[in-house]
Amino acid sequence: MSPEDRRTEAPPAEPPAPPEGSVADLFKKALPGVEMQAIQGVNDVILVIDRADAHKVLEIARKDETLAFDFLRNLTGVDFEADGLEVVYHLHSYTHRHDVTIRAKVPTEGAEIASVADLWKAADWHERECRDMFGINFTGHPNLVPLLLPDDMLDHFPLRKDVPLAPLEEWQGEQLGENVAQAGYIPPGSGFNVQASAEGE
Amino acid sequence: MAHEYELAPEHELETIDLNINIGPQHPATHGVFRMVIEVDGEVVTDVVPHIGYMHRGGEKLSENMDYRQAIGYQDRTEYLSQFNAELCYVLAVEKLAPALAPPERAQYIRIILTELNRISSHFMFLGAFGTDLGVFGTSFVYAFRERENVLDLFEEVSGDRLMYAYFRPGGVAWDVPANFKSRVEWVCEQALIGASDMDRLLTDNEIFIARTRGVGILSAEDAIDYGVTGPMLRASGIQQDLRKDEPYTIYDRFDFDVPIGTNGDCYDRYLVRLQEIRESVKIVRQALEQLPEGPILPERMPRLLRPSAGEVYMRCEDPRGEYGIYLISKGTTQPYRLRMRSPSFCNLSALRQMTIGHYVADAVTILGSTDIVLCSVDR
Amino acid sequence: MPDPAADAIPVMSRPVSLGVQLEQARLTPVVVDQPKALYRSILPGVMQVPADYVIAAARKSSLWPMTFGLACCAIEMIATYMAHHDLDRFGIVPWPSPRQCDVMIVAGTVTKKMAPAVKLLYEQMPNPKWVISMGACATNGGPYTRYDRVLQGVDKIIPVDVYVPGCPPRPEALIDGFIALQNKIMEERNRVG
Repeated sequence: MSPEDRRTEAPPAEPPAPPEGSVADLFKKALPGVEMQAIQGVNDVILVIDRADAHKVLEIARKDETLAFDFLRNLTGVDFEADGLEVVYHLHSYTHRHDVTIRAKVPTEGAEIASVADLWKAADWHERECRDMFGINFTGHPNLVPLLLPDDMLDHFPLRKDVPLAPLEEWQGEQLGENVAQAGYIPPGSGFNVQASAEGE
Repeated sequence: MAHEYELAPEHELETIDLNINIGPQHPATHGVFRMVIEVDGEVVTDVVPHIGYMHRGGEKLSENMDYRQAIGYQDRTEYLSQFNAELCYVLAVEKLAPALAPPERAQYIRIILTELNRISSHFMFLGAFGTDLGVFGTSFVYAFRERENVLDLFEEVSGDRLMYAYFRPGGVAWDVPANFKSRVEWVCEQALIGASDMDRLLTDNEIFIARTRGVGILSAEDAIDYGVTGPMLRASGIQQDLRKDEPYTIYDRFDFDVPIGTNGDCYDRYLVRLQEIRESVKIVRQALEQLPEGPILPERMPRLLRPSAGEVYMRCEDPRGEYGIYLISKGTTQPYRLRMRSPSFCNLSALRQMTIGHYVADAVTILGSTDIVLCSVDR
Repeated sequence: MPDPAADAIPVMSRPVSLGVQLEQARLTPVVVDQPKALYRSILPGVMQVPADYVIAAARKSSLWPMTFGLACCAIEMIATYMAHHDLDRFGIVPWPSPRQCDVMIVAGTVTKKMAPAVKLLYEQMPNPKWVISMGACATNGGPYTRYDRVLQGVDKIIPVDVYVPGCPPRPEALIDGFIALQNKIMEERNRVG
C-alpha cells in the first residue's frame, strides 16, 4: 500500500441539502425544538442528531403518522477514529414508502446512548451486537448480554479501528509438540512483527 | 397453534421445568446454533438462542481489504445465495462510483445468475426443511439433484462450484460461455420439473401438513417489528418484495408475481418459497430473451478502485429477506466501514416469539422454516 | 525455542489482558490417549498380522463420520453425501451422534467460542477415531485467519489425520481425502489400535 493509496478525499465543504418536501421537512415539522442537520445522501436523506435527542427523535419517527417508520432496517456503529463513534439507524416506512438514515455521534470514552429496544423489537439484537463490536452501552436495554462474542472474552471490541488484525500464529499441528500450553504463542525474534503485519502490509 | 392445557385439580402433580440444550452440534444441518429451551412437559415455555459460534469477522476483514478482494467475503457470508450478496455489494460500490456503471449485457447476466441462485437456495431450503421434519435424506437427495444442475452451470460460468466471486463493480469478471442460453434454458426446465417433484412429495402430504400447518405463526405486526423480511414476511400476508417495491438494477423490466401467504405458519413459508422458484424461472426466461450482446465491463476500468467519499445503504432481495450493505468510503482503495445487514439475523430474532407455546419437535420445524444461514447470522 | 521459565503464563507478543490469557488456557489441546486394543493382548503374535489386516480393512470400509458441518464447507460435504458424488458407496454414512462415529469431519471455521465444544465432541468419540480437517479454515484459519476470534486451524486443539485443502474443497477432493484416510488406516494397522 503506497502512501498514495491512503490519501483520503476531503469531504465536500458543504454537504448537499435535501430538496423541498423530503423526509427532513417532515421531521422538522414534527420536532420543532430538536436541532438536526439534514444531508441528501445517495439513496435517502441523512439526519445527524445529538445523542441526547436520539430516543426522542426515534420515538417520534415511530409514532408520528406522517413519518410512521415501522421497520428498523439496520442499527450499527461506526468508528471514526479521531471523531469518536457513531450510531447509525436506517429506517423504512411501509405505509408511506420512505426511508431515512439517522446518525448520532457518541464519544469514544463513556460511549452511551439510549436504547430503542422499546420502540422496535428488532433493535434488541442489533444493539447487543453493536455493543459487542464497539463497546457502546445502550441504556435501558432489557438484556444487554454478549451476543456474538463469548462471555469471557470481552476485553476488547473487535470493530474499533485501534484493534489490529491478529498476527499469523507460528505453532501449528505437529510443531505444537511440547509447547502445548502455547497455542497462539509467537516467540520473539521469530520474524513475526506484530506492528508491521497489523498495518495491512 | 399454541397448546394450552390445564391439569385437572385432582391430579396435583409437582412439576419442574426442564432446560434442554439443543446444539451447537445437532443434526438439523443449519450450522452451529445453540438454543436453550425450557420445557414444561413437552411444551416450550422459553427459548434463549445463543449465536456467535460462527462469528468470523467478515466486516473487519473487509475493511482491511481492497474492494475487489472483499467480494470473496460476501460469498462466504451468504453461502447459499452468494450471487445475491455479491450483487448487493457491487451495486453499493457502483452507487458511490458512478463512473463504473455496468453495461446492459452485464446487468442481464447478473440478473440471470442471481435468480438461478435464488432457485438453488430455495431447493436447499426444501431439502433441509424436509430433513428437519424427519425425512432424513429423501428430500435432501431430491433437492441436491436440482442444485447440482445449477451448480454445474455456475461452474461453467465462473469457475467455482460454490464461492464464485464473479461479479465486479462495473459488471462481471468475464463473459459467459457460448452455449449459455441453451444451458440456462435446460436448467430452467429441470428446475421446474424438480419443483413439481418436491411439490408432489411434500405439499399434499398429510403428515407434512399436520406438522407445519398452524405451527410457528408470526403475525404481520410482529414480523415488521422484528425486522423480518423476505419469504417469512410474505408468508405472514404482507405484500413486500424489494424487487417490486424498491426496484434496483433492471428488475422493473420483468414481469413476475410475488406469492404471499395467509396465516404466517411454516406451511405458508414453504408454499411461498416453492412458488418463488417458479417465479424466478419466469424472470430468467424473460432475461434470456432480452439478453443483448455487448461489453461486460465499462471501457475504462481503473486499476485501483477508488469510489468517491460518501456513504450508501444498498439493499437487495436475498432468498432469505433483505440483504443490506452499508458502505462508508473515504475515497481510498479500502472500504472504511462495511456493514452487512443480514436477513437471517433479523429473522432469527423472531424465533422466541414463534416458538413459545409449541412442542419441542415444533421448535426444530420452526427453526427450519426460518431458513437461516449461520455464517450470515454471525458474519 | 521459547524459554518456559521466562513466562509463567504464555503471552502473545502484544500486550494482552487477562481475558486473552484465560482464552489461551481454554484452548489447550486435548490429551490423546489411544490404548492398545484387546485382541493384541489376547492373540498370539503370529495371528495378529492377519487380524490387523482384517480389522483395519473392516474399519476403513465403514467409516461413519459425525455430521459436524460448521460453515460453507458443510454444504459441499452434504453435496458429497448426496447422490451425485455418492459417499455411501464407500460405506460412509453420516451419523449425528458422536458416540457411534469413527471420523469427525471438521468442515468450516472453528471460532474460539466453538472450540470447547469441538474438544468435547472429540473426547466423546470412542477409539479408534480420526479427524479430517476439511477446507482452508479448519486447516489454518483460511480467509478468516487474521481475525482474533478465529482459531487458526483446528489442529491447535485436536489431532488431525488428513487435511483437505480448498475453499470449499470440491466433493471429489473430499472423496480423495477419505481415500487417503483409508490408505492411512491400512498403513498404520499394526501400530495403532
